[in-house]
Amino acid sequence: MAKQVLSCTVNGEAVDVLVQPYVTLLDALREDMGLTGPKEGCGTGDCGACTVHVDGKVVASCLMLAMQVRGRKIRTIEGLAAADTTLHPLQDAFVRLGVPQCGFCIPGVLMAAAALLEENPRPSEEEIRYGIAGNLCRCTGYTKMVAAISEAAGTLASQRSAR
Amino acid sequence: MSTMKTTRDVKGVGVSIPRPDGPEKVTGRVQYVADIQPKGLLHAKLLRSPHAHARIISIDVSAAKALPGVRAVLTAKDIPHLKKKAPTRAHAVLAIDRAVFMGQPVAAVAADELSIAEEALDLIKVEYQVLAASIDPLKAMLPGAPPVADAGTEADTSEALAHSAVAIAKSEAPAKAVNISQQARLQRGDPAKGFAQSDHVLEKTYRVPMVHQGYLEAHAVLAEWDRNGLLTLWASTQGSFNTRSEVADVLGIPENRIRVIPVECGGGFGGKIRALCEPITAVLAQVTKRPVRYVMTRREELQAGMPAPQVIIKLKTGVKRDGTLMALDAETVIDSGAFSGAVLAVSAVFLGSMYKWPSFDIRGFEVLTHKPSVAAYRAPVAPQTIFAIESHMEQIARDLDLDSVEFRMRHLIQEGDPMVNGQPWQSNGAKQVLSRIAEHPHWKTRKQWVAAAGKNGKRRGVGLALGGWLGGLQPTGATVRLNPDGTLAVLTGQVDIAGTNISLAQIAASAYGVDTDLVRITTGDTDVAPMTGLSAGSKTIYTVGAAVLQAAEDARRQTFEIAAAELEASVHDLELVDGKVTVRGMPDKGITLATIGKKGNLYMSKTPPVLGKANPAFTQQAPAFAAQLARLEVDADTGEVTIQDFVIVQDVGKAINPLGVEGQMQGGAVQSLGIALTEGLIFDDSGRLTNPSLLDYRKLTAADLPNLETIIVEVPAPAG
Repeated sequence: MAKQVLSCTVNGEAVDVLVQPYVTLLDALREDMGLTGPKEGCGTGDCGACTVHVDGKVVASCLMLAMQVRGRKIRTIEGLAAADTTLHPLQDAFVRLGVPQCGFCIPGVLMAAAALLEENPRPSEEEIRYGIAGNLCRCTGYTKMVAAISEAAGTLASQRSAR
Repeated sequence: MSTMKTTRDVKGVGVSIPRPDGPEKVTGRVQYVADIQPKGLLHAKLLRSPHAHARIISIDVSAAKALPGVRAVLTAKDIPHLKKKAPTRAHAVLAIDRAVFMGQPVAAVAADELSIAEEALDLIKVEYQVLAASIDPLKAMLPGAPPVADAGTEADTSEALAHSAVAIAKSEAPAKAVNISQQARLQRGDPAKGFAQSDHVLEKTYRVPMVHQGYLEAHAVLAEWDRNGLLTLWASTQGSFNTRSEVADVLGIPENRIRVIPVECGGGFGGKIRALCEPITAVLAQVTKRPVRYVMTRREELQAGMPAPQVIIKLKTGVKRDGTLMALDAETVIDSGAFSGAVLAVSAVFLGSMYKWPSFDIRGFEVLTHKPSVAAYRAPVAPQTIFAIESHMEQIARDLDLDSVEFRMRHLIQEGDPMVNGQPWQSNGAKQVLSRIAEHPHWKTRKQWVAAAGKNGKRRGVGLALGGWLGGLQPTGATVRLNPDGTLAVLTGQVDIAGTNISLAQIAASAYGVDTDLVRITTGDTDVAPMTGLSAGSKTIYTVGAAVLQAAEDARRQTFEIAAAELEASVHDLELVDGKVTVRGMPDKGITLATIGKKGNLYMSKTPPVLGKANPAFTQQAPAFAAQLARLEVDADTGEVTIQDFVIVQDVGKAINPLGVEGQMQGGAVQSLGIALTEGLIFDDSGRLTNPSLLDYRKLTAADLPNLETIIVEVPAPAG
C-alpha cells in the first residue's frame, strides 16, 4: 500500500511524515518518528502504556490510526518537560519519591497525570486514583505514584500563583 | 562476614536515595528491547497452534514464502537439531509433529515489516488432527488421560536448582499415571495416631488459578549474528548468563559464541527467568543474516507465556481443643502445563514447616496438562501454598475461638526448628513481623471497626496473614575499580529488575568509604561482566551485595596499601576522609583518591591500578517473612470487595535503601491482592483461554486500592 503524508504537530514542532494508512498512531510515533517513549503494553487500549495527548486530551495511541491526527497537536512523554534539560514537576516528583521501578508504565502514567492536572489542578486522592485508573502498573502498587502526583499538583499550583 | 569499616558517616547503606535511572525513565528515554531499531531490522511473528492438543499432519508455507517482504518462513523441519521429548519450553522451539497447548509456536516468519509478517502467518496452511486434551489437572492425573509429553521425557527440576530454594525433597519413583511428571512425599511421626487423638479435624481444599505475572513489557528479544558466527541477543531477561546457557544448549553452540546484553527489563517477577522466544528469534536471524526482533503481543503473553501454575491443595489437620497441633495431611497438585519445571519441594516446605507439626504426611504431584507451561511468580508455588496454610490456620483459630495471632505465635517456627526436610530454619523474622502487625491499631481496634459497619449495607472484615520465603543462593561476582578522578566504578552482571543497582552502589560506597554519588554501577553483558546468577529468588542484595561489599573492601585495602607506600606509613594508621587517605591524627599528611587513581593509569607508572574483586559462593540462606493486614468492606448484595486499609510488615534483613524497599513491598502486596481478588487465566474444557486480554484478565488499578502502609522490620541474617 502506498504511504501517505501525515502532517501534524508533535511536541510543538510541525511534522510531515510518511506513514502507512493502516498504522496506529502509536506505531507511527515509535517506528516512523523515533519517539519510543510511548509503549505498547497490550495494543488493545487496556493498559495505558501508550497514552499521549491529542489536542490536550488523553488518548490510547494504540487505538487511533495515525492518519486520524492530521492537523492536530500531539504531545508525548518526550514533550512533557519544557526543555530537554529540565523535568516537569510531575517527572521531578516521580524521581524524588522513587516511583519508577521497571519504568515501562511510567510514560503513560505521566501523560495521564499531566492531563488530569491540566483539567483539575487540585485533585483529591480519589480523583488522582481515578485519573490514572486507565494505566496499569505492576511494580509499584500505585501508593508512591499517587503521592507524587499530589505533590506535583501542589508544586504546579505554587508556580502558577508565583507568576 | 566482616563489618563495614568506614572512617566517617558516608551517604551509603540505610539512606533513601532515588534510583539514578529515574530521570531516564520519567522522560521515556530508557530503551527496552522493542525500542531498539538497528539498520536492516526484520520483524518476527509466530504462527501458534489454535488447538490445545493436535497432531500436525502437514504444513504448507509456499504461499507465505512467496509474499514480497517475507525473508524467512521456518517450521520444525528447517531446524534439524530440534529433537522430540523437549525437556523444557525453551527446547520446544517449534512444534514437531504434535502441538501440546493452544498457542504453541508451529511456524515462524521474519519479514521487512510487522504487518507483512502478520499477513504471511495467514498464508501458512496447517492441517491438524485435533486430539483429546487433558485440561483439568485432577483428571489429567488419572490413568488413561490424554498424554501431554512424549513417553520418556525427563522431568525438569532446573528451576528448583536455579532458585536454590531447598534441598529437594526425596523424589518417589515416577508414577504409572502418564501425566504425573514429578512426585514427592515427606512424612514425620504417626499422623494416624495424631488424628485419632485430635479433638478437631478440619478438611479443606484450596485452589489458586493460573495467573500471569503481568509485567507490562511483554517478552521481547533482538538477535543478530556477525560474520564470524557470533550471536548477540538483546534480551528482556532476569538473568543474562542463564539466558546464554539455555540458548547455547537449545541451539547446540558453545556459550562463548553468544553474547547476551540484558536490556532494561520491563518487569519479570519470575516470568523472565527461563528462555522463551530467544532460540527461535536467533534461528530466524541466522537464516536471514539480518537482525531480527520478536516482541510478544499481550494476547500471546496471556495465551502462551509462562504463568504461575494452578495449584490445588487439600489439607486435613487435627488439633486438640486448646489448639495443640497434632497432625497434618496434605496433598499438593501443581498444574505445570505442557512442560515439567515446577518446584515441588517449596510447597511441602511451607505446608509443613511454617508451624510445628509433630506428625505429617505431605504428598506433592506435578501434573502435565495441555496448557502453557509455567514459571515462578513471586517465588515458585510459595504464595499459593502459604495462602492455603494461612487460610487453614485462621479457620482452625476461628473454629476453636482462639485468638488468631496467639494461635499462630504459639506454633510458629523459629531459628533452629527443623523444616519438613530435616534442615534447620535459619534466623528469620517470622515472630517479629507477626507481633509487630498485631500491635497495629487496625488490629487492636478490629472488633470496633467491624461493629461500626452497617448503614450502607456493607459488611466489614479485618484479617491478617503471614508469609515467607526461604531466600535463594547463587554464586556471583563483582569488581570495584578506582577511576583516575577518585570515583568508583562497580561492575556486575546482575540484571537490575528491582532497583538493586542503587542499593549495590550504596553498599560499595559504605564499604569503601565514599558517598554513593561517587559510585557508578554498571550491569555488564555476558562478554564483560563477572558471571552471576538470576535476579530471582529474593537473593540479589543478599548475594551480589556480599560480592560488591567484599570487592569494595578489597579495593579499599589496595588503595590503603598504595597510600601507605606513598605516605611512608602503616596501613593500620590510615583513614579515608572526604576522598583523601590520611595518617590518623595528621590530617595534613595525606593523598587524595584522585591522585591514587591517576597513578594507576599513568604511562610508566609503577603503581598498580586499584581493582577490587570478589567472587563468593554461599551456603547459608536468609529466610524472610512478612505479615499483612487488610480491612475490607464487602457489599452483601453484589459481593464487591473494597480494600479500605492495607498494612505490610516485612522483615527485610537490613534496608539498604528504604525508599526502594517500600516500593518493593507495595508492588508485591498488590500482586498478591490481584491473585486473591480479580486475576485468573480461565481455560475452557478444550484448553482455550477465555480471557486473553487485559480487559478480561483484570488487574488491580489505582482506583481499586487504598494507600498501602509499609512497616520495615530489620532482623539481620548472620551471614549478611
